[in-house]
Amino acid sequence: MPSDRRWRSVLAGLNDYSAALVLICLLGYGALRVPNFLSEMNLSAILYQYSIIGLLALGQLLVVLTAGIDLSQGALLALTSITTALVMVKHGPVLGTLAGLTLPTCVGVMSGLLVSRLRMPSFLVTLGTMGVARGMAMQIANARPVPIHHEAFIAFGSGTFLHIPISAFVWVVACVAVHFFLTRRAFGRHVYAVGSSEESSRLSGVKVAAVKLTVYVLSAFLCAVGGVIWTSRLGSGSPVGGQNYELESIAAVVVGGASLFGGKGRVDGVFAGVLIFGVINSVLNLSGISPFWQGMIKGAVVLLAVALTQIRARAEAQATVGMADA
Amino acid sequence: MRELALYREWRQRRTADTQRIFTTLLVMVALMALAAVLSRGVFLKPQNLLNLIFQNAILGVVSFGQLLVILSAGIDLSVGSVVGLSTVLLMIFQFLGLPAALLLTVSIPALIGAVNGYFVARRRLPAFVVTLAMMLFVYSLAQVISGGAGIYSGLNGAPLSPLLVSFNRKGVLGVPLPAIVWLVVLAGVALFVRLRLGHFLFAVGGNERAAFLSGVPVTLVRFLAYVLAAVLASIGGVLAVARVGEGHPAAGQTYLLDSIAAVTIGGASLSGGEGTIIGTLMGVLMLGTLNNIMNLLNVSPMMQPAVKGTVILVAVYLNSRRERG
Repeated sequence: MPSDRRWRSVLAGLNDYSAALVLICLLGYGALRVPNFLSEMNLSAILYQYSIIGLLALGQLLVVLTAGIDLSQGALLALTSITTALVMVKHGPVLGTLAGLTLPTCVGVMSGLLVSRLRMPSFLVTLGTMGVARGMAMQIANARPVPIHHEAFIAFGSGTFLHIPISAFVWVVACVAVHFFLTRRAFGRHVYAVGSSEESSRLSGVKVAAVKLTVYVLSAFLCAVGGVIWTSRLGSGSPVGGQNYELESIAAVVVGGASLFGGKGRVDGVFAGVLIFGVINSVLNLSGISPFWQGMIKGAVVLLAVALTQIRARAEAQATVGMADA
Repeated sequence: MRELALYREWRQRRTADTQRIFTTLLVMVALMALAAVLSRGVFLKPQNLLNLIFQNAILGVVSFGQLLVILSAGIDLSVGSVVGLSTVLLMIFQFLGLPAALLLTVSIPALIGAVNGYFVARRRLPAFVVTLAMMLFVYSLAQVISGGAGIYSGLNGAPLSPLLVSFNRKGVLGVPLPAIVWLVVLAGVALFVRLRLGHFLFAVGGNERAAFLSGVPVTLVRFLAYVLAAVLASIGGVLAVARVGEGHPAAGQTYLLDSIAAVTIGGASLSGGEGTIIGTLMGVLMLGTLNNIMNLLNVSPMMQPAVKGTVILVAVYLNSRRERG
């Protein structure tokens, strides 16, 4: 059936932008049907919260592209937050931020080494480092939040430029940088190669262990950046925050079209995936839907998005077969 | 010839399993010896050992379900939420009488497991994402039913059945009932993996394509694993109600990560097809012993995740080293 085949190839063509399409539909719904959705306050609230998830998702994408997973992200966010606050109280904002960026990155190095050198499964390694990081954060803070009084530092997190939160700029810059490296540099190609087939990459001379180590370190570093922004916006360091953020970042990556089996996924998809969750969240809140129901709706969205990815994958396969026929 | 090859493969798996169990056993004995020394022998008293089994019955039951799913090369992130939902369901349905309440408490999660199984086995979606979505969904469902807080009576204010209230205090020959439930589940799961379907579980997890080509009903086997995991999680929920007399959506939060930890500490591989019941049993007891030790040593609850995380890392390292060596 030619019409059927054409329909399938159209579907496959839309493939790359379906997350963006869903986002546009949601934005349209929000703008037309939900009062106050387009207000500056609401839009910047979405950006404040989800630019941090966005930074995490960017790191998660890198790890997922190599067929791994990073469960330690939420705990690393908390570790960053508490380290930053504690050091800042004694030694000022510059050293505080540096310490906050360094310590979680070291934990990332540990995860990366365990996964790449000892070839342990990433799920369990990052489950372990999640416990370690969370325990460290709780212990050094004595399980209490640490308030910060540096005006300049706090201003950074809740500051805006051209009415847009600074954190959103940080996220966009990080997205562009990661996109550039993934698409225009050898490193990016190696990331995709390792995720598609580790064995072939190794045989083609890709330094698999180095690539894997790098993605876990980058993921931890991006968590740390998110954590610093988060801390500065909160005005205090919190050892209990960031619970389940890793699940949100994984969900955003998957909704953005990446495959958990590695080798497939793009920054623009993940960007849209993060905003999809932000917009859904905001629409649900503004429509006065009880938070109890929101989990159900989010769960359904994740499932639907993945089901869609799979239908797309099939359509793609059939479209390719169709082209081979012609 | 084919029989011989199958026999060889079976022998190899048996040997690998034996080695794996041996490593786990060594670590467990070491941990228990440590506990015995730290507690000056109190740990080894029969009463305390019984307590260890008693206290970890819920995690034990949930972990067996997780093991079945992990054997099929999947993962079930929804078990914790299902435990929570089951506690809420059991409480809510008290007004129907205990048997009907139990039936509903087990069958609704079975349905949830079936949905997981449908998407993973039939639609072939990644288990991680499907069960992640289900985790959010089920938790939210439990919150909607319970109003977000703990509930202590059924609809119409029906109180908790007296049998459940006194469940933890009763026992057979000195063995508390929750421990007996755990042992019954253990026996059931042990029987299951010796059935044809159970053998298929290993085949599907080990090499799905080979299993399919050998005529194994791959979809059915994987589907069943998710249903069983949810049913076992709901039994865990029943035990949780018996323990605290409360239905709460968050009652099962710790069981998700702990069950995965127990199964993998017990030597199962997350890539499927490898793992033993006895290993998982030891994994659960090790986590229990570890908690016991940390309490004995007055390790602050804040440090406990760090200690647990380190133990997971060490156990997985030992397993992965043996696999390559």
